Amino acid sequence: MRRTLLVTAALAVALLTHQARAEDTLNPPHWQSEGSFGSYDKAALQRGFLVYQTVCASCHAAGELHYRDLDALGFDTAQIAAIASNVKLPTGPATADDRFKNPYPDPAAAAALFGGAIPPDLSTIVSARPNGTRYVYDLLIGYAPAPGDVTLLPSHYYNTAYPGQQIAMPPPLKDNQVSYADGTAATAAQEASDVAAFLTWASDPNLDARKEIGLRATLFLIFLAILAIATKRKIWRESV
Amino acid sequence: MATPQAQTKPWLESRLPLGAAWRANVSHYQTARDQPYLATLPGLILGALIFLALSGAVLSLFYVAAEGSAFHSIQFIIRSVNFGWLVQSFHTTGTTMLFAAVYLLLFRAILGSSYKGQGDLVWFLELKLFIILLLTGWLGYVLADGATSYWSLHNAALAGARLGGFPGAIADWIFGGPAGPGTLARMAVFHVILALLLLAVIGAIIVAKRVVAPPVHRNPVAFHPYYTAQYFAAFVIFALIFAILVFFAPHLGENHLNLAAGNPLMVPALLTPPWYLLPIAAIGGVVPTTLGGVIAVIAGLAVLYALPWLDRSKPGASTGFLYKLLVFILALDVIALALAAAAPPSLVTAILIKLFIAWYFLHFLVLTPLTSATESK
Repeated sequence: MRRTLLVTAALAVALLTHQARAEDTLNPPHWQSEGSFGSYDKAALQRGFLVYQTVCASCHAAGELHYRDLDALGFDTAQIAAIASNVKLPTGPATADDRFKNPYPDPAAAAALFGGAIPPDLSTIVSARPNGTRYVYDLLIGYAPAPGDVTLLPSHYYNTAYPGQQIAMPPPLKDNQVSYADGTAATAAQEASDVAAFLTWASDPNLDARKEIGLRATLFLIFLAILAIATKRKIWRESV
Repeated sequence: MATPQAQTKPWLESRLPLGAAWRANVSHYQTARDQPYLATLPGLILGALIFLALSGAVLSLFYVAAEGSAFHSIQFIIRSVNFGWLVQSFHTTGTTMLFAAVYLLLFRAILGSSYKGQGDLVWFLELKLFIILLLTGWLGYVLADGATSYWSLHNAALAGARLGGFPGAIADWIFGGPAGPGTLARMAVFHVILALLLLAVIGAIIVAKRVVAPPVHRNPVAFHPYYTAQYFAAFVIFALIFAILVFFAPHLGENHLNLAAGNPLMVPALLTPPWYLLPIAAIGGVVPTTLGGVIAVIAGLAVLYALPWLDRSKPGASTGFLYKLLVFILALDVIALALAAAAPPSLVTAILIKLFIAWYFLHFLVLTPLTSATESK
């Protein structure tokens, strides 16, 4: 009896943790926000924010975003306040109404640190690139040893997705660089996929509302168009 | 002493006869029966312009017209103003709808050769609308202050400063010299002035079109309810297309690179304007010098102005099959020109752009006089 209970409990735990894990979005890579009716996967966005905050934010700014915007990811006010207070600005701990921290006092400081290659602001990086979500993912997992006939520039890395194949950013992601609270295995590819989802949200935070209102507006206007054309025809039939 | 008739009229009507104007122009206005849906285009253009003026007025409350701040203020509108993203999207997608309607209006005018005879003034006004709209559209594109907007403004202002002479003086008057922190504020002022001018021009088009409409001899219908019903249906279909674009393709025809902030230290890989400026930008870019580019643009628009004289058919003669076929080919040519201009620069696109521009001028300067002269015999 006790044995059965233990097995059931173990099964339940296994099932629950399994459900909490991300669905396999890596083979082939796809994101829930894609397509005309796609919406954001908040679990992926929260994981992506963890990767962003742990890894990306140490070198990249995202100056159009405020910490308060994170409520769209499903964080509550207390969680946002906690996230912000962990960020040290020159003026003290950040608050929810502060913009995402810029790691550099000015562009010249960034240029001096990285030999002139200023890390770009990530606020709109996905919408400013064709097929941006996939581009960010491909770039983050696109590091490879340089082929024999390629001579790399000093402090550059070979990347199959980057235009020109030589990128100044060192490979940022490796396996288990973060540990996900929902138990998802933090492979480098999973981290890249999640941070691509987060940056897609950062570029287009109104996607969910846009598509929801859009569906209603379109259905309403289709109905109204049918009605308007029918009315017009009825009126014209009565003209002699 | 007021006359008895004036006393019977309501207070407002006796001072401002709005009711009489409504009866004369809408409810009792007699008009021909077989007008197609596309005859509502001037009305749709007027509606789109009013819509853009209203959404633009809302945007202007939050927009900061200064280099380095403008892009961030638009991002603030999109992210932090209640429904700011919707109003911003209304304004950019509304521009797409407006340009589509104006391009279609010009296409229909050329196809039906309505520029002939008494229709010439309407045609000239439509071209005036088109040219002012191109300028307004470019100014709006520049106000976005994205990566390509930034360089479009700086290149234009620098080219203007380099022109010298009378054209240089005009450029200096508009830009105030090479672009700097204050230039965007000037551009915002001209954007508004030209937009108001557009409202006046479309009003003139609607009035002039009615005056030169052929008289209805038999069995006319009242504008209301027959054509008000048709206008309503046309507006709803226009709004439906608009809604699909706003909500499901908000960046249609834009250069992706313009969604990053302008950077004085970095020129984007592809400096292409939005779709509606592509053909004219390609014509302007085909000549290497600044003055040559200005002359090419003026020539591209001048052939449209010259159309009533380039068309050699007799007044009142209907257009022939070959002429109509050539107008359709011209439309495809302009679309192909825009696509070639939007593609990354290469030898092939450079050759294609020159070919498409050559066909454009060939159509107006050679093919139109030839076909219209032979077909009207």
